[in-house]
Amino acid sequence: MKIIEVKNLVYSYDNKKMAANDISFEIEKGSYTTIIGHNGSGKSTLAKLMAGLLEAKSGEILIDGIKLNEENIQSIRNKMAIVFQNPDNQFIGSTVKDDIAFGLENHQVPGNQMEAIILEYAHKIGLDAFMDKEPSNLSGGQKQRVAIAGALAMGPDIIIFDEATSMLDPKGKRDIKKIMSDLHKEKNITIISITHDIEEVLQADNCIVMNAGKILMIDKPSKIFEKSEELRKVGLEVPFSALVKEALKKEGLKVKSDDLEGMVKELWQLHSNH
Amino acid sequence: MNLVFGKYVPLNSVLHRVDPRSKIIALFVLLVAIFVPDSWWAYLALSLFCILLCALSKISAKTVLKTFKPLIFMMVFLLVINCLSIKTGDVLAEAFGFAVYSDAVFNTLKTVVRLLLMIIITTVLTATTKPLDLTLGIEYLLKPLRVVKFPVHEMAMMISIALRFIPTIIEETMRIMNAQKSRGVDFEEGSLKEKINAILSLIVPLFSVAFERAYELADAMEARGYVPGNARTRYKELKFGFIDAVYMLSAIAILAFSIFTKIYL
Amino acid sequence: MAITFKSLSYIYDKGTPFAHVALDKIDLSLEEGKVTALIGETGSGKSTLVEHLNALLLPSEGELEILDYKMVAGHKTKGLKMLRKKVGLVFQFSEYQLFEETILKDVAFGPMNFGVTPEEAQKKAVKALKLVGISEDLFNNSPLDLSGGQKRRVAIAGILAIEPDIIVLDEPTAGLDPKGAQDIISLFMKINRQYGKTIIIVSHDNDMVYNYADEVVLMSKGHVVTKKETVEFFDDDALLDEYGILRPQIVMFKKMLKDIGFKLKGENRTLEDLSKTIVKEVRR
Repeated sequence: MKIIEVKNLVYSYDNKKMAANDISFEIEKGSYTTIIGHNGSGKSTLAKLMAGLLEAKSGEILIDGIKLNEENIQSIRNKMAIVFQNPDNQFIGSTVKDDIAFGLENHQVPGNQMEAIILEYAHKIGLDAFMDKEPSNLSGGQKQRVAIAGALAMGPDIIIFDEATSMLDPKGKRDIKKIMSDLHKEKNITIISITHDIEEVLQADNCIVMNAGKILMIDKPSKIFEKSEELRKVGLEVPFSALVKEALKKEGLKVKSDDLEGMVKELWQLHSNH
Repeated sequence: MNLVFGKYVPLNSVLHRVDPRSKIIALFVLLVAIFVPDSWWAYLALSLFCILLCALSKISAKTVLKTFKPLIFMMVFLLVINCLSIKTGDVLAEAFGFAVYSDAVFNTLKTVVRLLLMIIITTVLTATTKPLDLTLGIEYLLKPLRVVKFPVHEMAMMISIALRFIPTIIEETMRIMNAQKSRGVDFEEGSLKEKINAILSLIVPLFSVAFERAYELADAMEARGYVPGNARTRYKELKFGFIDAVYMLSAIAILAFSIFTKIYL
Repeated sequence: MAITFKSLSYIYDKGTPFAHVALDKIDLSLEEGKVTALIGETGSGKSTLVEHLNALLLPSEGELEILDYKMVAGHKTKGLKMLRKKVGLVFQFSEYQLFEETILKDVAFGPMNFGVTPEEAQKKAVKALKLVGISEDLFNNSPLDLSGGQKRRVAIAGILAIEPDIIVLDEPTAGLDPKGAQDIISLFMKINRQYGKTIIIVSHDNDMVYNYADEVVLMSKGHVVTKKETVEFFDDDALLDEYGILRPQIVMFKKMLKDIGFKLKGENRTLEDLSKTIVKEVRR
């Protein structure tokens, strides 16, 4: 079942450079999609359009079959949450509890039911020990976890992550990526993640490559990374395993596997046969 | 920063649990009570009440005394002025043809006592109430203003976001200051022109970051369903209970006593 | 030695109940002309250490020698401002230090603060801007209108124009896309090789550290755990495991090859070298 359908979407900030230039794609319910592209390729614009924070010049977005427009944006926001890049700039409450409550208050959840909801989702994201902490006493990774708990408390079908790990240290990055993968597998939440992290692209089902406001490729990550030349041309990174394969090829050794483990086994086999 | 005045002190006392509305109303009632009377009996009662408040709030005497420190100079200055200008009452001391009159001393003392009492009751409020609860209390108390279309809730939201971002902005200021110091900016010395440039090098980036933050924050709030003016529920509801009533009534009782001394003593 | 720490400690809020030891008796010396990477978890003391290099913080205990300057705890050191001319510090998200009306003015701001004439400062600014690859037609634009990656480059030019001998970089590539990050790193490597500048780089990106650093300094909980040559450091399995350090991808790959039974001769620092060694092994 399609949960997001984007049709001929067009957007530009100043009528000169197209940030979204006739974009069309579909996203399956419960899938995990990453969007990659260099800075300025239009990824974040696309995320903001889908979240209803920008209004398209033309084209349409259907969320769960409902066309996104000004009248129903509030009800669509119940289905869709977004986690932004900067951990500080989305922390609205004065404590972890208050911040998770913010979205609930907006959606007019009765005050006496909030405590239970807040504790439930904070527990799921492992924030039990931090409930009364203030943002200045939390690490970047912890703040992002609060943002995710706040998003989950709304019971969304879709969560968009807009470079949510890019400002975190390695531990924070690992934690958040793990949470994203768990949400996808265990909660069947549709995940759309804008990222520069190749490892994350590999853990997703699908990948959209953007360049100059257009979609360059949509495919499974393994297929995308086969086209290493095209990726380099648009300033993107190639996974390490593809680099190894290339380097070996240059030395006249062709390996079949795409992942490192397979390659190592293959090489050992060759070595033993020799 | 060693400043205690106006700062929240995270302790667990009875006063920390009193409803912020009750504390705000009590503050105003007590302020009036301090300025009404002339009688020393009223000041004795007020002082005892303030000592009781400090004890209840678990704020140490040392902390309270610290808030007085910056005022010592002002008090001495006031005493000198009063001694020079007030020439009524009994002569207390005389030297080099100059007399100090009793009214001068008593007047100064009264002003000083009033000031100290004011500081104590304000400190008790700010030290026992989280800034956010204070905002919440003010919002509740200002609710009637909605009738005249005053955006009470939006104001409160603005204040609470400002409070939330103060530490972030301070941190940012330090970072930009360090970055500019590395580029040779001297924030302490230099000519006027250099000083202006130094301040600019701090203010301009600070504003540009603040705007960026504001835009991102607005997006985050909108994405989480915040629409200015729309109805919202409340996670933290204020409930006016027994101790809140007791607290407010005791403040009113003190005011009544002050008025009584003013009229009858 | 360019920089020598002698049992240096730094204590935040010393003498208050909030006192916190951020650096604990650091002994460390760094040589001139090298690229040194400073790694460790968030809160390990890297940033505090870096702020000492620019005299933004002064030692609470012990002493620090940088080039001709000596800072001893409890003593006033003269001429700290000129030390800042010798040591350029590029902060994390350095684009947030831009403020002048034009790019050229902003880059010339640093040299002028250190007493260079306006004409001379302008020359240095032009040179630095060319080095970081900002095209001349942008020089009179406002720095605030640039894209994120370009802003970062202008900020870096602002430090390079001061012509420091030592350049300290705090997470210089954070928040950039892969291409932008690569460009910035290549720039500093060029500066190291062509002009012989000493470079100290604080980073969480161990792949980048492995590719470019001569030595690695590992910090943990306010201590310097070790200082080693880069390849040697990442070959020390016990150390990496004890401190939970992520292996660079090539090191990971080498470990996988070794674990299955390959005997790899030589350093094999680049993928090119490694694949040559592998092919040799396979065809042996």
